[in-house]
Amino acid sequence: MRVLIFSWEYPPRMVGQLAEYVSALSTQLVKNKIETYVITYHDSLTSIVKEANGVRVVRVANPVRTHIGVLTWDLTLNQEVERASANIYYQKGKHVDLIDVYDWHFIPAAVSLKNALDIPFIYSVESLEDHRSANANTPHNMSIKSIEWLGFYESEKVSVKSEWMRDEVVRIHNVPKEKVKVVSPSANSWMKDVLKLYRNIAKGGCNK
Amino acid sequence: MKNKLSVMMFSWEYPPRVIGGISPHVFFLSKSLAEIGVKVYVVTCDFPGAPAHEVIDGVEVNRIDSYKNPAPDFATWVYMMNLNMQREAAAIVNKMDAKIDVFHVHDWLVATAGIGLKHVFRKPLLVTMHSTEIGRRDGLHTDTEKMIHETEAWLTYEAWKVICCSDYMVSHVKWAFGLPDDKLVKIPNGVNTSVYENPKKEDCEAFRAKFALPTEKIVLYVGRLVYEKGIHILINAVPRVLEKVDAKFIIVGSGYMKDQLLNIVRSMKLEHKVLFMGFVDDETLLRLQKCADVSVVPSLFEPFGIVALEAMAAKSPVVVSDTGGLSEIVNHDSTGFKAYPNNPDSLAWGITKILLDENYKEKIKKNAYKKVQEKYDWEKIADQTKQVYKIVLGEYSKSFWA
Repeated sequence: MRVLIFSWEYPPRMVGQLAEYVSALSTQLVKNKIETYVITYHDSLTSIVKEANGVRVVRVANPVRTHIGVLTWDLTLNQEVERASANIYYQKGKHVDLIDVYDWHFIPAAVSLKNALDIPFIYSVESLEDHRSANANTPHNMSIKSIEWLGFYESEKVSVKSEWMRDEVVRIHNVPKEKVKVVSPSANSWMKDVLKLYRNIAKGGCNK
Repeated sequence: MKNKLSVMMFSWEYPPRVIGGISPHVFFLSKSLAEIGVKVYVVTCDFPGAPAHEVIDGVEVNRIDSYKNPAPDFATWVYMMNLNMQREAAAIVNKMDAKIDVFHVHDWLVATAGIGLKHVFRKPLLVTMHSTEIGRRDGLHTDTEKMIHETEAWLTYEAWKVICCSDYMVSHVKWAFGLPDDKLVKIPNGVNTSVYENPKKEDCEAFRAKFALPTEKIVLYVGRLVYEKGIHILINAVPRVLEKVDAKFIIVGSGYMKDQLLNIVRSMKLEHKVLFMGFVDDETLLRLQKCADVSVVPSLFEPFGIVALEAMAAKSPVVVSDTGGLSEIVNHDSTGFKAYPNNPDSLAWGITKILLDENYKEKIKKNAYKKVQEKYDWEKIADQTKQVYKIVLGEYSKSFWA
């Protein structure tokens, strides 16, 4: 199985705790014989680099250096994520089983790749704009929420880390409850749950 | 390769959504390409009352859900809109049996959609640069302007060829983004002369009576009321023209300078001589262009100057500022009057000359119309564009993407 993971942070670039989680997850995936690529942001561009843990990492940089906010930064970085993903797709015989996207930053790229190349994606929720910016409803917040909404709408499945987050996703974005899977990293069955979710999507998915 | 060349054209405006010159450009280019056997898909923003999908003269038009929530600012809206545009276009292309051969985008407003699609489908991207941020703003002063400039630079980097519609724009774009010569192509903009050919004789007398007194000549300005269009220079020229000849100045279009301009007119006590029309419908605009005694294009920055060409096609004599694409369209004293840019005296001189010298006026009208028919015909422009597609596809077929 060939999986692409999109995360805006990955070691050595650590912003919150997501970097460590994605690092642990991808290491485990490789151990379970999953061909794993992480596509992430870094200040300078790299090609595909196979790191010590066996994870293949592509770091993309934003071609536009001046920005007026996180949204414009994000929406001009996604094309580079698409380019890196498409390169893997075409180099590997036009086959990628699924994309696992962490939070809203790279939802646009996942949505394009799904619509263009039929690669299904999982939206893995770390946090939601409604929690990060409680009670804020400026055009800025609404734009981010609309990207989150698009992710819920276009994804094959949504992955959350707790029952509470599942309820929040259902409450805030009206996502059907059965679309949301709880995969808790503290549970003993963590890796088994991840693999089960991946296999379900790679099998059924929206692949031709 | 299948026999029929197919192109997907991206534009943030397409009729009935008309904001500037890109809308008519993409409309006529698409239609004319379809007439010479190119399969054309247009992807554009939605517009109230216009269908999401329709076929116009063989062109498949798709109007996407442009981002409708309040956006923090215009530039952010553009990128949010592009997200939807790319998503919907990706789905359309995916469902086709034969994929698109070329993606062709117009200006930075659809840059990210075009760049993304190029990579996911691995097809060549072409861009027509109608304008640049550094030119529009006469420099880069804010982060927004720098960001847009860098987006344009990225777009021209990603494009296989960069099309510009005048020699001036070719050199300007080359300078602004440091592009190699062999990446740049000049194809002029076109004008459709047939829309100005009304079978029944236009009754200008009755029509002009709605706007001007019988003693007043009509001086027409069509364009956005923004700095780069130099409308403030025309307003400053108004009293200088009125010293010599009685005239009514009709200003069509809107923009952020409107209130400022109104104040200037008021302070000169010339409200009765300057008429701000705002946007007008196509029919009124056509008739104004046909009935005007002179059309003025006083731009400070003008990549091409389609309004001058339209006036020439409508057989209205033109006074333009000698800058950018306007310098190439107009030959001084032959197809129009070229005024010194940013100079109200020079502009007033030209307007007055045309309004008072009947022989000069007639000569200019005749020569201008002839030039339009010879050089700016859409059929020829479509043919040149198709040749560029073929050259690009020839190079592409030898690349590892093919």
